[in-house]
Amino acid sequence: MAGPLAGLRIADFTVHAAGPFCTHMLAQLGAEVIKVESAHRPDIFRKPHPVYGRMGAATFDQVASAKHSIRLNLKHPKGIALAKQLVAQSDVAAESFRPGVMARLGLGYEALKAVKADIVMLSVSSSGQTGPHSYFAGYAPLFGAWGGLGWLSGYEDGPPVEMRHVMDHSVGLHAAMAVMAALHRRRRTGQGCHVDVCAREVASAAAGEALLEAAAGHTPRRWGNAHPRMSPHGVYPARGDDSWLTIAVADERAWRGLLAVIGRPDLADDPRFATEAARHTARVELDAIIAGWTREQDAEDAAARLQEAGCAAHPSWATPQIAGDAHLRARGAIVDAPEPDGRIRAAVGIPVRLSATPPRGIWRGTPQLGEDEDRVFGELLGLDRAAREALEAEGAIC
Amino acid sequence: MSEVKQEVGPLAGFRVVERASGVAAAAAGRLLATMGAEVVLAEDPAGTLLRREPPLIGEGTSALFAYLAAGKRSVVVEGEEALHALLATADILIDDTPLDQRALLGLDAAVIRRRHPRLVHVSVLPFGASGPKAGWRGEEVNLIHASGEGYLLPNGLSVELFPDRPPLKIAGHFACWQAGVAAALGALSALWTGTGQFVDVSVQDAALAVGAFAIQRLGDGSVEHRTTRSFRFGGVLQCADGHVELLTLEERQWQGLVKLMGEPDWAKDSELADPVKRSSHGAAINQRIRAWAASWKVEDLVARAQELGVPMARYNTPADILAGPHEAARGIFAPIEVPGVGSLPVFTAPMRFGPDALSLAGPPPLGADQALLAQRHAEVA
Repeated sequence: MAGPLAGLRIADFTVHAAGPFCTHMLAQLGAEVIKVESAHRPDIFRKPHPVYGRMGAATFDQVASAKHSIRLNLKHPKGIALAKQLVAQSDVAAESFRPGVMARLGLGYEALKAVKADIVMLSVSSSGQTGPHSYFAGYAPLFGAWGGLGWLSGYEDGPPVEMRHVMDHSVGLHAAMAVMAALHRRRRTGQGCHVDVCAREVASAAAGEALLEAAAGHTPRRWGNAHPRMSPHGVYPARGDDSWLTIAVADERAWRGLLAVIGRPDLADDPRFATEAARHTARVELDAIIAGWTREQDAEDAAARLQEAGCAAHPSWATPQIAGDAHLRARGAIVDAPEPDGRIRAAVGIPVRLSATPPRGIWRGTPQLGEDEDRVFGELLGLDRAAREALEAEGAIC
Repeated sequence: MSEVKQEVGPLAGFRVVERASGVAAAAAGRLLATMGAEVVLAEDPAGTLLRREPPLIGEGTSALFAYLAAGKRSVVVEGEEALHALLATADILIDDTPLDQRALLGLDAAVIRRRHPRLVHVSVLPFGASGPKAGWRGEEVNLIHASGEGYLLPNGLSVELFPDRPPLKIAGHFACWQAGVAAALGALSALWTGTGQFVDVSVQDAALAVGAFAIQRLGDGSVEHRTTRSFRFGGVLQCADGHVELLTLEERQWQGLVKLMGEPDWAKDSELADPVKRSSHGAAINQRIRAWAASWKVEDLVARAQELGVPMARYNTPADILAGPHEAARGIFAPIEVPGVGSLPVFTAPMRFGPDALSLAGPPPLGADQALLAQRHAEVA
């Protein structure tokens, strides 16, 4: 095993997107993540998803990759007993059911603590483990709506905007960080704990300054692509169909650089644009001048020239451009991952690079359901072939 | 000394030195501070740029800085040696100094490694510390569009209304915040090994990581686009006094929605009985749903939806969240002292390590903890 978290073991009861993204991050960092499913209740990626036009199981699922897989029937008493044996051998137990479900299954924090005194239990949920709305079901667009980020996003004169999968995965990223904090405390004090990560609060965390504005009696506004200080700042049309260039002028160096690149050094002396504050006041006028230039430019070429001149710029990239990008591939932010038939596809790598203990990364694709039972039931839990067959016959492993 | 509460977060005992002029590195420090680490801003005499960054909530008081610096300490560091004296007592350094300025300040990776071999040195830059774009500048708007999600926004109602407008960023600093979380995760993972090392975090990488689903879909053979990635029906609905989000992905939720709408005849059409066929009539269904929702008051509609198991949420304004009963019960806002403004409730953190919310102190005035530096000097000497 390799990676900074080599030696840590996680019993992974999470489903859907947010929870599995958390354990996927920790798996890439080297933790041994054992994903618990059953043939009766497989995770969504093993089923057709007509909304996305997928009529069978996914051959590769990002958030399930780099994990081990076992089957356990959590509706069967012996399935629950095995789950507890697994937790007893683990450092972390992660779940993302509605609050209360784990306790009803007999796998609540107290029950897990009874089999592993210093267990770090992670619960990821829509609205948290406590509070009057804790039972609310939710998906990413609802987290974004409850948490304020949805209302704050959008064109100034338009409706709020629906947050999508980035919201789920952000929840998972926060959860991975929180699990590491809890493990550090366990190492220092010997104490485990129950970590509660609340998705709607993750949406609020990314909008904390707007919440503080409101608390101070101000009314936060919807800025669209504009910025409360910078101008020019935004997403400008570039040459070609649906091609866009982002520009953000953070300081005088960037302003001078921009003017040089667009061939308008005269604007430096224009009183309408003399200071940052003046440019911000005149931003509609200024945006029209900038857009007049960007419309004739190739987005990639213009971004490179603006960067050369010290001005932040980048094309607005569609997914295929990202998957093929040399910079992202050089950094391992985009990696090649294996399909079961050996084909290679682009996947997203772990977004941290460690010099001395590099992450393990996506060392395998999506495991087959129950692929690692010899290792987990056999070696880890010490069950022999006959015992496993009996448990399968009883429906505890299925 | 600035007031720092004595509540014990899980990272109590760790020291972090933060040099941040941007949101991503400051967010990393903020998350570590809220989880109990002692986070010391090592500022230039003029103070970090974030102290002046809008939105402002008073004469020269930045809401952004107050939010991001809550719970931290501040020392003014003049000269390389003072900085290194501070670093000698730290577990983690978080730095977003542009690459070409690091050597000048004694902050390049080789120097840090030689002088502080046990330190976890976390670099947080727009495009990271290596690769062809390592020297590129990037603000939030550039980075959310360099990582994929920007091009895919807005979706649903907003793009239907404004199909010709430029794609849209998420409000605030979503991409930079993800990098903050990734940097904290990277720091804690490196610290776990006991080996001092360099941790390279890029805002573009972190925002791309949470946007992994678009890469997943690409591998499955579909290129996502903002005009086509809407759900077939539901989404953002305009009510009489605000907006709600409606999303029914499961059959029982659709049945609940039909009940919620008063079992209208059109919803009983046999064409809509099968979920896949129903999706193909999404546009027509949405017309009906939008017309029906328009006369409802948000609060009444959301309450009724929850009773019937229909996933629906109010598009909360910041003021709604501050006044929310669920938020109050969970205690997610902590009163902090914001210099020049007074006591204000600030959002603490989206994670907790037991039933109680994490606590937080206010942002430090510039150099409020200068004594810390002198003390460290003495210890080191």
